[in-house]
Amino acid sequence: MLALLTDEQRMLRDVVRGAAAEMGLSSADLAGADRGRGWAELSAIGVPGLRLRGATGAPAASGVEVMIAAEELGSRLVPLPYLGAAILPVELLALAGAPARVVGPLADGSTRASVLLSADLGTFAARPDEGGFGWDCADAGFALGLVPAAAGWTLARYGVTEVEPLEAADLTRTVAGIAVGERLEEYPLDQDGVDRWLALALTAASADIVGAMRGALAGAVDYSKDRVQFGVPVGSFQAVQHMCAEALVRVEGAASTVKYAAWGVDELAVPEALLAARTGKAYASAAARDVLETVMQVYGGIGQTWEHLAHVYLRRAMLSAQVLGDERHQLAEISHARLGGR
Amino acid sequence: MDYRDTAQEAAFRAELRAWFGQNIPPGWRDVIEDPAGRTEFRKQWHRTLHKAGYVAMSWPVEYGGRGLSPIFDAILGEETARADAPPLPGNVNFLGRAMWTHGTEEQKKRFLPMLLTGDAVWCQGFSEPEAGSDIAGLRTRAVLEGDEWVVNGQKMWTSGAHAADWCLLLVRTDPDKPKHKGISCLLTPMNVPGIEARPIYLANGEPETSEVFFDNVRIPRENMLGHRGGGWSIAMTTLAYERGPGDTGFVPKYQATLRRLEELAAERGRLADPAVRPALATAYIKGEALRLTVLEQLSLRVSGQLAGEEGSIAKLLWADAEQSIQHLAIELLGPDVWLGRAPQRLSAYLSSRPVSVYGGSSQIQKNILAQRVLRMPRA
Repeated sequence: MLALLTDEQRMLRDVVRGAAAEMGLSSADLAGADRGRGWAELSAIGVPGLRLRGATGAPAASGVEVMIAAEELGSRLVPLPYLGAAILPVELLALAGAPARVVGPLADGSTRASVLLSADLGTFAARPDEGGFGWDCADAGFALGLVPAAAGWTLARYGVTEVEPLEAADLTRTVAGIAVGERLEEYPLDQDGVDRWLALALTAASADIVGAMRGALAGAVDYSKDRVQFGVPVGSFQAVQHMCAEALVRVEGAASTVKYAAWGVDELAVPEALLAARTGKAYASAAARDVLETVMQVYGGIGQTWEHLAHVYLRRAMLSAQVLGDERHQLAEISHARLGGR
Repeated sequence: MDYRDTAQEAAFRAELRAWFGQNIPPGWRDVIEDPAGRTEFRKQWHRTLHKAGYVAMSWPVEYGGRGLSPIFDAILGEETARADAPPLPGNVNFLGRAMWTHGTEEQKKRFLPMLLTGDAVWCQGFSEPEAGSDIAGLRTRAVLEGDEWVVNGQKMWTSGAHAADWCLLLVRTDPDKPKHKGISCLLTPMNVPGIEARPIYLANGEPETSEVFFDNVRIPRENMLGHRGGGWSIAMTTLAYERGPGDTGFVPKYQATLRRLEELAAERGRLADPAVRPALATAYIKGEALRLTVLEQLSLRVSGQLAGEEGSIAKLLWADAEQSIQHLAIELLGPDVWLGRAPQRLSAYLSSRPVSVYGGSSQIQKNILAQRVLRMPRA
């Protein structure tokens, strides 16, 4: 048993961290921001293609690398659709054995796609032939839907005919209603494949939340060291220190469950991998609101303003918490996994 | 990164399961219920474990250990809980480290073997009535007279003192020095004149710990561990090791408690209550967060990076998990807990309260995290 990142994983973390520092947000005013900035660099690092299958059928990188990238980019609020429009559709297509001509352009960043979800983003769209909703789906060139089949599922690929963005809370990601045309292709996918995808997708969303909590808390702690009131830094007050310490405990508790889930994506049997992913998602989603509210509180008045990033972190993490089921949903699934129908 | 057992770890686990299957004394719980039989039983179990090679797995071979990684201690703790075996000797690793790190050759030769075999039972004399969270404010005095230290004062929360043969005792030898620098550590025999241990009864009515009085107790000069004035760093550096939830076997006990509560909720028809299922699932994810945090810290220890201040994260997760699950337990049982119909549940609930006090209160842990991990300024 050893729960430490490898040297290669630490190197990836440092590379993505460096990139994230450059392409992350510095203000909540996104109107003038170049949303496309950094996509080429992210693609060059290989982030969209992390789950591309090689000649042996093994993914280029494990769930742990996906977690690392999602945490680092999340911690800087990078407003690029590497999860919803790249890593997650690549994984779904790869699990269904889609050909390189479809997966390749997604993995190298030249095309984007979206998985069709329900209106609350909590599960797959029930009737994807009629469209659905996309999370983190900016510039999706095609869409993927799951249709029940005689044995398992059919993964259908559709052209996108219309995109109607929602005014969703997260200012850094696109959430949209997606209308689709005819099915372009179909690939069979069994329940294990769907569950494997869920394990990765839940873990990626959870890692995004962990990253957002880490980035936001680090900023608030730094601020508390500089902000002087009553002649001393506010971070010297025990009330402030204990809030930050409690937040740290929640963040690290979340990070440890998500790390295990990330490892489990490729290493655990399907039911255990999914249970681990739901555990991480439940824990991180529950922590998100508390931790990010603490962050806003530590910043005081300035942390309540539109210009400040504190609410951008909160918005992003809370929306990620909804993706494929929030805390309540995951707890119900965990309960079912442990107690069955009793 | 691999959360699975290595081949060697898996083999060790299998060996332990087989051994526990053959060697757990039947009815051991009844034996340790009785304070009279408890001490002798624990010594006997320590000897049995030692003969089988299950004490001091992570000690260096030169001191009689097996030179294995601390992961093996964790596996031993897990399998002990899984097999419902008697508790492991609690402070052997911590004391051993203190002695081989700071002891003289003579002290190592004298004390390490009897610590290993269980022939000597140890307690730790750290806290005092006026030195709880502020433990460096301890006042128990030791004054050098000839070749002896003469000790006067009082210790609190000295668990197991009445049954102990020896005490790792922190005393103030240099009252004129700054408080952290005037403390020394004495290896104190408990059978000398002037030492009196009295039980402290906790809220559940059990004599779970002790207070110890020292009245002109004379300790040979050569019984000082480390140098004069070095007591604080001995206590802190060795405490940082082997005192977390991973070392106390807390996680597997917690998992067993959760399983029992799930059964209890099912038996009592409480799973239909819409609040109960999410509460049980929440207890599960809290246990997982603790288990996995502990495993990460253990991994850091294995790789030679001591998890120091970060240990406070695990302590806080531990206290929260234990206190939350005991809340859930008393909610599931309802009035029975308070009407004398579930005395063990009441006792378990009350026993969960000091978890956020002993080993450093939750408030102290938060101070440590804020000041030493987050580097927030001191007031």
